[in-house]
Amino acid sequence: MGTPFSKLLELAGGLKEGRTLKAVIPGGSSTPLLSADTAMNMTMDYDSIANAGSMLGAGSVIIMDDTTCMVKTLTRLAHFYYDESCGQCTPCREGTGWLYRVLQRILDGNGKNEDLDLLVSVGEKISGNTICALGDAAATPVESFIRHFRHEFEYYIKHGRSIVESEHHLIEEEAIV
Amino acid sequence: MSEIEFEIDGKLVFANQGDSIISIADREGIDVPRFCYHKKLSVAANCRMCLVDVEGVPKAQPACSTPVANGMKIHTRNDKAKSAQKAVMEFLLINHPLDCPICDQGGECELQDVAMEYGTDVSKFNLGKRIVADKGIGALIQTDMTRCIHCTRCVRFGAEVAGIVEMGGTGRGEGVKIEPFLTEGIQSELSGNMIDVCPVGALTSKPFRYEARTWQMNAVETIARHDLIGSNIYTQTYRGKVKRVVARDNELVNETWISDRDRFSYEGLNHESRALHPKIKKNNKWQEASWEVALDFAISGLKKNAQNPNQLGVLASKNSTLEEYYLMQKLARSFGSENIDYRLDKADLSIGSSMLSNISLSEMESIDHALIVNSYLRLEQPMINHRIRKATLNGASVNTINNKKFDFNYRTNLEVLSSPQKTVLMLQSVLKSLHDKTKTPAPKHLSKITVDDSQNKIADDLITAERPVIVIGEHVNSNISSSDIMNIISEIATLANAKIANLSHSGNSLSAEKVGFKPSNKGKNATSMLSENTKAFLLMDVDLNYDFINPKLAADTFNKDDVFVVSLNSFEDEASQINSDVILPLASFYESSGTHINFDGIAQSFSASVKGPGDSKPGWKIIKVLADLFEFKGFEYTDSTQVADDALAITSIGNNDIVDKNTKAIDDSKIAIHWQYSPYAVDGVTRKAKSLQETPIGKMNAAFISLVTAKELKLSGGDLFHGVPVSINETVADGCVFVHTYQSRKG
Ligand code: SF4
Ligand code: SF4
Ligand code: FES
Repeated sequence: MGTPFSKLLELAGGLKEGRTLKAVIPGGSSTPLLSADTAMNMTMDYDSIANAGSMLGAGSVIIMDDTTCMVKTLTRLAHFYYDESCGQCTPCREGTGWLYRVLQRILDGNGKNEDLDLLVSVGEKISGNTICALGDAAATPVESFIRHFRHEFEYYIKHGRSIVESEHHLIEEEAIV
Repeated sequence: MSEIEFEIDGKLVFANQGDSIISIADREGIDVPRFCYHKKLSVAANCRMCLVDVEGVPKAQPACSTPVANGMKIHTRNDKAKSAQKAVMEFLLINHPLDCPICDQGGECELQDVAMEYGTDVSKFNLGKRIVADKGIGALIQTDMTRCIHCTRCVRFGAEVAGIVEMGGTGRGEGVKIEPFLTEGIQSELSGNMIDVCPVGALTSKPFRYEARTWQMNAVETIARHDLIGSNIYTQTYRGKVKRVVARDNELVNETWISDRDRFSYEGLNHESRALHPKIKKNNKWQEASWEVALDFAISGLKKNAQNPNQLGVLASKNSTLEEYYLMQKLARSFGSENIDYRLDKADLSIGSSMLSNISLSEMESIDHALIVNSYLRLEQPMINHRIRKATLNGASVNTINNKKFDFNYRTNLEVLSSPQKTVLMLQSVLKSLHDKTKTPAPKHLSKITVDDSQNKIADDLITAERPVIVIGEHVNSNISSSDIMNIISEIATLANAKIANLSHSGNSLSAEKVGFKPSNKGKNATSMLSENTKAFLLMDVDLNYDFINPKLAADTFNKDDVFVVSLNSFEDEASQINSDVILPLASFYESSGTHINFDGIAQSFSASVKGPGDSKPGWKIIKVLADLFEFKGFEYTDSTQVADDALAITSIGNNDIVDKNTKAIDDSKIAIHWQYSPYAVDGVTRKAKSLQETPIGKMNAAFISLVTAKELKLSGGDLFHGVPVSINETVADGCVFVHTYQSRKG
C-alpha cells in the first residue's frame, strides 16, 4: 500500500528487454485501464489510483507492454465475463454475449467502425442496471480500452489485423534488410 | 405497521413499512413496466424492467424489490429511469424471436406492450439470435422457449403456489434455460396458471393454439361450476364458440388462480356426441322431432305412466344451475311428487348425511391444523386445497384419515389408513380419546372402543390447535355409513372446538341443497326411486354410466318397458339411447344463464357466453315450458333472474339436523370398494374435454389393493378389476379396493 507503481513494476522484475510499458489495469480486470504515463506517476493506494481514474479493486495488477494487442485483450476479457455471467438478470445475461460477439467479429476481420460506439453504448446499458457487480465489471474495461486505444480498434477494423503485429512485423522486416 | 410518507412522480403518497415501490405505483395508477414481478409471487428482481430513479441513489433501483422509505423521492419516468428501462428493453429483445405474427400471445403480450412504449424501431443487434429447443410439457401447455425471457414467474408459481416444482432454470449465462425437470409432462392440477403468469408467448394454451386472436374474441365474465369454489373466469368466445377460458381475479373466491379443470373443460362443449335435436323413441326406433312434438310426447308419456303422482321420479346431476334445480323440484312438487334427488352417487341417503360447513374460505387459510378425512383434496377441490396449503406455509399441520395415502402438495404429519368399513370405528376411537383428554364423560356406546397411539395423536393435535378444521371429502359418499361418519365428526368437532368443512359436496350441489332438491319425508330418495315402483322419470343432465352409485340398477330400471324416461341432456350416448324415451337437448356450461352457490354460500350468477349448439335450449326454459304444458301455476317466468330471485328467497327446505345417533352395524368382513373418479371425469363436459383426458391426471386408471387384500381377492398386479388394472400397493388400507379412474363405475 502506498508503493509507487514504478517501484512495484521494478520489484516484479520489470519489463522485458527492449519493451516499453503500454497500459496498466491496476485492480483486476473489472477496473478501468490506465495509460502508461498515468500509471507511472501514481502510487498503489486508494486515493492515488482513484485520482488516476481507476480503482485498486481486487489489487491484481495487469501490466501490458507494447507487444500487447488491445483488441485481442479486450476480447479475451469480454469472453471471460460472457462466460461468467450467471444469467439471472437481463442486462448481463444478454449484454455480455453481445459485447463478446461484436469484439470477436472485429477480431475475425468483419468489424465496422460503428461497432466501437455500439460497444460503448452496450456497456453503458449494462452498467448500473444489473443485480450484482458482474455486469458493471463487464462494462468497465470496454469503455476504458476504447477510450485509450481507439486507434488500435480502428486499425483492426480497417485492415483486419492488429496494429501491434503489423508494427513488429515491420521492425523484423527492416532487420532482415 | 407505521405509515410512510413519500413522493412518487411528484405525488405525495402514503404506504406501510415494507411496501414495495411497485405495489404503491400500481395502487396509484402509475404504470411501471415489469416482467418478473407478480403480485401473488415472491420478488425475484431479475428482469430489471422496473428500474426507477430514487433521488440520492446513484443507480436506478428496481421498483419491485425496493421498499419505500420516509421522504423518498421516486421518479418512474424521468430521463434516468427511462434510459434504464429502455436499456433493459433492448436487451430483452436482442435474443427474442419477435415472431409475433405466428405467436399466440400476440395482442396480449406484456413484452409486445412494453416494447411499444420502451423499445426502438430499429434493432442495433445484427448477430444471430438464440434458439431454444422445446421439450414439450404435455397436452395443456404449448411451449416455445425461444420466446422465454427468463422472468422465472412459472418457476416461482410451481414452487410457491402449485407446490410441485416442475419448471426450473438450468445452465448459466446466456445459456440459461427454463425447462421442465420431468419428461412425462406437467403433473399439477393448477398448471394452466403458468400460461396466465407467463408474460410472453413461451407458455400458451395448447388446445387454443392458432384458434383465434385475442382481439377477435369476446370476453364474457362467468363462473366455473366444476367444484365448490365457483372460480371466476372469462370465457373468450369467437363466432359463437368458447375458444378459451382464463382466470378472472376475485380475491374472495379464487384469488388469481383457476384449476386446469376449470380452464380446459370447455373443449367438451364441442364434442361430437352433443345432443343437437329433440328425439323421441317410437316402437323402439329413435327419430328426430320438433321441440313441439317432443315436448308433447314427453308430457303424454309422463302423464300416462305416472298416473299416481308418487310414480314420478325427478333426478339431476350435481352440475345443474340453481335455477334448474329450483324449477325442477317445483315441477315435481306441483305434480304432487316428492321423489326428488340429486345425490345419485351416495350410498347412505339417510337424513343427516349432508352436514353443513361452518368455516369460510378465508378462514381456511388461517387455520393452524387440519384433519382431512376421506379426501384426496388436492385433486377434488384444488382451490380449497390451495387455501390449506397456504395455511401450512404459515405453519399449520395436517393429519389425514384415508383409504389410501395420497400425494398432497404440502407436508402431512400423520397419514392414517382406514378402509371405508373401519372408518366409523377409527373416528369413534378419536372421539373416545377426546373424551378422555377433555375429561368429559364418554357415552356408553363408546365404552368398548379402544384407542391406539395414532388416534391419540390425532385427538391431541385437534385439541392443542387453536384454529383446527376437520375436512370431510368425497370418498365418504360411497360409504354406507356416511351419516354415522358425519355424526361422529360433528361430535369430535364440538369437543375439539374445531370447524367443519364438508367437501363431500361438489359441483353445484349446494344449490340443490338450497332449494330442497331432495325428498322430504314422504318422498323416495334416488336409490329407492330406482328400486321401488317408479314408472316415469325426468332426468336433468344425468349420465347413466357415470352418475349412479349403482349404474346397473339404474339401467335396469330405466330400460323396463313400463318405465318412461325423459332425459334433458347435453350429450347423447349409447346408454341414453337405450335407456330413455325422449331426449331433450340441453344447453351446457356457458350456454345458459344460471347461478352457482359456492362453499362460502355466495350465490354467483352468470349469463350465457354462447348459444347452445343445434336446437339445444337452456334447462330453465325447457322446464318452464314443460310446467306450462302441464298447466301448473307459478311458472310465469320470462327471465332466469326471476327464477334465481325466487330460488334464493327459499329458507331451507331440507332438514339437515342430525337425528339418528345410533350407528349402524357394519359387516367389516366384506371387502369394500371405493370407486373414485379422476378429477377430469366428474361431469359430462369435463369427461369429453380431450386435452384434459391426455394428462397424467386424466389418464389415472388403477385399482389400488394391498397385498393382503389382493391375495384374498386372488388378484395380482396387472389383472383387471372391473376393467381397471390392479396395482398392488402398500399405501392402501387392507380390506378395500381404491379405484381411481376415468372409467365409469362398475364395481
Ligand atoms: S412473446 Fe410477445 S413479443 Fe414475443 S413473439 Fe410472442 S407476441 Fe411477439
Ligand atoms: S416460460 Fe414464461 S414465465 Fe417462465 S420464465 Fe420464461 S417467460 Fe417467464
Ligand atoms: S419487475 Fe422488477 S426486476 Fe422484474
